[in-house]
Order: sequence, then structure tokens, then C-alpha cells
Amino acid sequence: MTPSSALSGRPKQSFTRVLGNYSFVLIFIAILMVYLIINAGATTWSGVMNILRHSTVVGIIAFGMGLAIITGGIDLSVGSMLSLIGGFSVVVFNATNSPLITLVFALLAGLALGSINGLLIGWVKMPPFIVTLANMMIFRSIAQYYLRSVERKSIYNMDGTLSSYDAFYNFGQSKLFDLIPMVGVILVLVTVIMVFLSTSTKSGRTIYAVGSNERAAVLAGISVEWVRTSVYAITGVLSGLAAFLWLAMNGAVDPATLGRSNEMYAIAAVVIGGVSMSGGKGKLLGILFGAMSYNIIDKIIAAMRFDALINDTIKGAILLVAVLIQIMIPVLRGRLRKTRD
Amino acid sequence: MTGISKSFFGVKVLDHVDLSVRPGEVHALLGENGAGKSTLMNILAGVYHRDAGQVVFQGKPLENTTVHSSEEAGIAFVHQELNLFNDLRVYENVFLRKEIVRPFGVLAKKEMIRRTRELMRQLGVDINPSDMVSELDTSKKQQLEIAKALFAKAELIILDEPTTSLNSDEIDILFGLVDRLKAQGKSFIFISHKMQEVFRIADRFTVLRNGQLIHTGDIRDVDPTQVARMMVGSQYTDQSVYEARELGEVVLETRRLSGEGFHEVDLSIRRGEIVGFTGLKGAGISELFATIFGVLPIKSGQLLLFGQEMKGNSVRQAMRSRLSMIAANRKENSIIPDFSLLENFYVSEHRLSSKRPLIAVKGELRRYKTHRDALSIRANSAFDMITSLSGGNQQKVILARWLNTQADILLLDNPTQGIDVGSKAEIYGLIQQLALSGKTILVNTLEIPEIMKMADRCVVFYHGRVHSILQRDEIAEERVMIAATNAIKSEVHA
Repeated sequence: MTPSSALSGRPKQSFTRVLGNYSFVLIFIAILMVYLIINAGATTWSGVMNILRHSTVVGIIAFGMGLAIITGGIDLSVGSMLSLIGGFSVVVFNATNSPLITLVFALLAGLALGSINGLLIGWVKMPPFIVTLANMMIFRSIAQYYLRSVERKSIYNMDGTLSSYDAFYNFGQSKLFDLIPMVGVILVLVTVIMVFLSTSTKSGRTIYAVGSNERAAVLAGISVEWVRTSVYAITGVLSGLAAFLWLAMNGAVDPATLGRSNEMYAIAAVVIGGVSMSGGKGKLLGILFGAMSYNIIDKIIAAMRFDALINDTIKGAILLVAVLIQIMIPVLRGRLRKTRD
Repeated sequence: MTGISKSFFGVKVLDHVDLSVRPGEVHALLGENGAGKSTLMNILAGVYHRDAGQVVFQGKPLENTTVHSSEEAGIAFVHQELNLFNDLRVYENVFLRKEIVRPFGVLAKKEMIRRTRELMRQLGVDINPSDMVSELDTSKKQQLEIAKALFAKAELIILDEPTTSLNSDEIDILFGLVDRLKAQGKSFIFISHKMQEVFRIADRFTVLRNGQLIHTGDIRDVDPTQVARMMVGSQYTDQSVYEARELGEVVLETRRLSGEGFHEVDLSIRRGEIVGFTGLKGAGISELFATIFGVLPIKSGQLLLFGQEMKGNSVRQAMRSRLSMIAANRKENSIIPDFSLLENFYVSEHRLSSKRPLIAVKGELRRYKTHRDALSIRANSAFDMITSLSGGNQQKVILARWLNTQADILLLDNPTQGIDVGSKAEIYGLIQQLALSGKTILVNTLEIPEIMKMADRCVVFYHGRVHSILQRDEIAEERVMIAATNAIKSEVHA
């Protein structure tokens, strides 16, 4: 290649490389096809759009999880943050009758909880797994304790008699142009923002640098402490947003079940999306597809009238297959290249 | 070993090389970095497979050698970075995978400790079998590796630069051990860059250069200069790139600066100056550089940049003061392996321009191209992964990373480490050009000829202190070595 062609833009990528980088799209399409075939007669536009709607909560927290994983860490507390922020948001809404104040509260609460994780991991340098494991237990426990001891209820329920309840709840059910669920639109917006931040901003690239080689990142002038702290803080904010959307869709929070195992589904979505668990590599765009792929599996199982308990068996198997594909494609590519030489 | 050839990715690193070692001899294997010494030894030890040639050990040909089969045959490789398990005890390391067990797999600890003690006694090595390996110093660890090799019935022991981190007493102990074992008929291959040691311990020697056999013979028949000339070939001529320059005002000053690993350093360095720093490994120069760059804390004393005292140092602050540092060990400290050339290039400049948060790829490419041409970086596309480049080109990208920050002072910690001869010469040339354009350059290197080629002054460190500062006309290899090893106590004059 001549020097000038280096300036002409990105080099042509071979088909197999593109395949390797975007295997999450393949997996998504494969699962979607299975769903459409199984569900042949019953497929409707709103049925397909429900995939987007039902992927929203896990999808949004998975973006936070993705950032944490790219720095080489993990955030196990996302599901419990959902529960705690969701529960307290109900309390805030019931007290203020304002969806807007509830939204601001949810985002700020997420920022605060996420910053606790971030400060302990970034500045105190405690291991992410331990910090977020501890907070996973603490956050959910607070949500449950407060409900029973202070509220003396078994579930956080939004007060349906409040004047803005209908507006809030209807927002969760509304559709853009009567076609696309509003919450799904928000998921897509979050995707666009996250992809933009991670690929086109200077700060976004530092997240990758830290995960790729922390020592080199420090010596290149990156404040690893600050990057780590902000990543977990952003994860908190995204969990707050997800909790708010959950409320809009469902109107109530059961702190014992909301978000349970969601950290695991989020990790799976991130991995299926092609983000490396060892950090430094992966596209955030994949996370959207990873989250949707997982949601379709629920729908397939429902369509086939299987017991929902088989759900995790299939999800686990898909995760294994997805990772296998990601590992195999570069190996196959290497073989192909060798035989060509 | 006869006619050994080996290529990596089409590049020939060994070309029909022969090597023969007799029983009971110490054979020095000599050559510059990249001459093919390690590849040859890795083939012998079964780490790599040879492309062509034969290996015969004690009359038996070795085919399809693996690490395990070469060990079985009696070849032991004592690596520079020792292969011991730090979290196990001494005897556990010796008996690893050869544990003595009683019924039900219970370890016979006492028996193993007793035998290890016996082994150490026979070798005249003072190591307690029950100590944790992590508590041993490097010298003891090395002795343990040799003991372990002998326990595994090794007849030929490869020592890869065994003395780099040893002091002179420890070297005496090591050589004493080698001499005793030689008398018992064990053979050694000794890889070292230090002429004195080679002439002290070796019986015969082999010189490799660029993957080819240059000479093999008795050490008695040659002198160190001849050997050095064989190692470097025609490049041994003193290709100085030095050009006299007008020096400017003082830009970097330390006053009794102390930090981790160095004490009370007084320096005063002027704009446009190239100052070479040298000393034995662990002399404290890397730590001094890291402290000036804000990575390590200042313990006491003052650091002044452009006449301003630095208070509470951090990397960001150092960068804002137009300072930059290329750390030693490129792979660990400089390269971001999942990033492209372009990303590795712009990452540091972005820290200074974070007020404009978006990445403008076109502008970045333009700047990259300017630096690529100035440093003659050989690469296909700016979007290629940095790991696809050779070591020399990777280092140039890192240099470009820092020049792109508009830094005025460059701290270069062993910048030519692991780089081929050609790229090294290019980097010396670049350093000279940068100095001509008004940059101030501090280079830490273990290779004194590098300093002779380009530096205005040479600062010699010994045990964390400035031992002496030599002016350009005083820099001579011998004189620097004497200072670095503190062979003759001299007055510090600055």
C-alpha cells in the first residue's frame, strides 16, 4: 500500500474479518428467523416490536455493564440498583405526583450509587467483583427492608389515584407514530449515544485504553482512577434510567424480584455482543443485539409452549455457542489465510 | 547442533548455524540483541522447532524436541526471568512434578526436605529447603534454579545472561558454583554481554550476528576487542551522529531530589542538550525519570521545569509542563495492544486537548502523517493494529505520540531496547535532529556506545546517586564502566 492510501480512509476489510467483528448480527438474525418460523402464523408487527420493548431494561443496563467490562472490570450490582432505585422512585412519585422529578431522582440516585462503586474501585482500588458483589447484596436488601419496615407493604405500588399517574403509565405504553414503542425508541437512542461516546470522543477511547493496557494508559497521561470511577457512575445512571422506564411500563416494583439475575443477563448480552471479558476490545453496538437476542429466546419458548423453567438452559446454551463462534472465527480465518499462502 | 535454520513469518533468524559444546566446558554464546542467540537456545531446549539442521546430544540425535523431552535428555535452560514458583517453598520447587509420595498421594515432606538439604550441601549452596522462594534474593533464586536443574540430572545447563541483576560478590558465588560443576563434567552455555565475565569463565566461545555463525574458537586465542568487533561487524566503527549545538537556558533542574530508589540528585540541564544516563540495572535512573514525569512521588528536594518548581507531581501536570517520557519496556509500559497505530499515536495528545472532546479523524490523520514522514515510520495503514509493526517502528510510533504533545523535554528510558541494529541507528539520528530543533533529551541506556554516539554529557549513577558527570570529551567506555561499577571512588563533580 502506498503512503497516500493510508490517508484515503479505513482499509478494505476482508469478509471474514467483518464477519468476526459483527458476529452478533448473525446470531441475532439466526434467533430471529427461528422465532419467525416457529411463530409463523401468529407473527404481528407489534409482536416483533415487543422484542425491542422487552429488551429495554436489560439492554440499557447492559451498556453500563459493557463499559465496566471494557475497562477490565464488572458490575454485579446493576440488578439490585434497579430494584433499589425503582422502589424509591415509586416513593418519590407518590410523594410528588411528578414523573419529571421521579426521572431526575432516578438518574441522580443512579449516579450516587454508581459513584459509590466507582470510588471504591477507582480510587480505593478494591476489586470490582467484590465491591459490586457486596453492593448487589446491600442495595436489594435496603429496598426490601425499607418496604417492609417503613412502608409496611409487600410491593412498591404507584398511587393510581394521582393526577399524573395516567400520563406516566401511558408514556410507558405509548408508541411513536403508533408503530414503535416509546421505551424501545429510548433504548435505540441510548445505543446511539453510547456508540458515539465510545467511538468518537477522546474520553470514550480512554475506557478502551485502560482495559487494554492499564500501565501504558497511566504513562500516556490517562487518569485511570477517574476513568474507572466515571464508568461505574455512568453504569449507575443507566440503571436509574432503566428503573424509571420499568416504572413507566409496569407501575410497580417488587424489590425481591425486579432485576434479579439481570446482571447475569446483562453480562451475557455484552458477551454475545462481542465484547471481550478481558477488557479493551469490543463494540458497544453489539450489546443492543445481544440484549435483543436474549429477549427473543423468551418469546420462542412462550411460542412453543414450553415450561418457562427451560428458559435458562437455552439461554446458557446460546451463550456458549455465541462465544464458541467468536473464538472459532479468528482461528478459521488464520487457517484460510495459511492455505491461501 | 549443525546447520540449524529457523524463520519466523518468512524472516530468517538463524541461517545454518553450528554450535558444539564439549563435556565439562563453559561455552560462551555471544552476539548482539537479535543475533539469534535466544532462538538457538530455544530450539535446543525444545521451545521452538527448527526448520532445518540436526541436534545431537551425548551421541543421540534429538528429534521433535519438546521442553519436556529436552529436559529428560539432560538439557536445562535457566532463563533470565527465573522460572520458579514464588509462592512455593524451595523443596517444593525442586520436587515439582517429581514429588515423593506415600500411599494415598500423601506428600513425603520430610524426605523431600532432607534430600533438598543434601543437594544444597553437595553444591555448597546456602539455601534453606523450607524457605519460601519469594523470600530469596535473585542470586539465591538463580542458585536454586541451577540446583533444580542438577537434581533433574541435567548435563548441559544454559545460563541466559545470569549476571544482569547480581552484584560482584554474587557473581563470584555463581562462578564458583559453575567452576565446581565444570570439574564434575557438567557443561554450560553462557549467554552474556559482559566481556570481562566471558573472559573470566568461558573456555570456548561462539559469536552469532544476524542469525549467522561468525566465529567459534578458544577464548584464549582472542582479546575482548576482537570479540566485540566480531559481534557488531562493520558497525563497530564509531559512527557518531553527534553534531555540536548551541545550548539554551536551563530547562530542567533538580536540587537534592530524592525519591524511590535515588537520593539527593543535583542536575542542571539546558535546552537542546542530550544527556546520557547510565548505570548498572537498579541504579535508580528509571526511578528518577518516573519521578520527574510524575509517576512516582518526590520524597524530598526540588524539581524545577523551565524555572518553575513542580509542587505535588502527577503525569498530567508533567505533560502540561511540556514534559514527556518513553518508559522502558515498550510492551508493558507504552503499547496499547488493542489500539491501532493512529489511536496509539493520538492517545496522549488527547489528554491535553480534552476541552475539545470529539475526535476529528481527518486532523488526527494529518498530524500522524507528518510525524510518520518525519520519523520514517514504516507501516501500511494508520488503522492497522500497532502490534503488527516491528519493534523499531512501534517505538517510533510511541516517539511520535510524545512529539505530538509538543513536549520540549523528552525522557527516554532505554528507548532502543529490543530493537534491531538498523532501527537503533535511525533512532539515534532522530534524537540528534530533535536536539537540533531545540528539544532537550535525557536518555537512560545500559549501552555506553549509544551515549558516546550522541550525548553532550554523561551522568553515571551508582546505587541511586550521581557518581560522576562526564563531559563529551571525557566519555569513554572504560571510564564510564569504572564509574558505573564504582571501581574507583571518585569525587562527584557537576
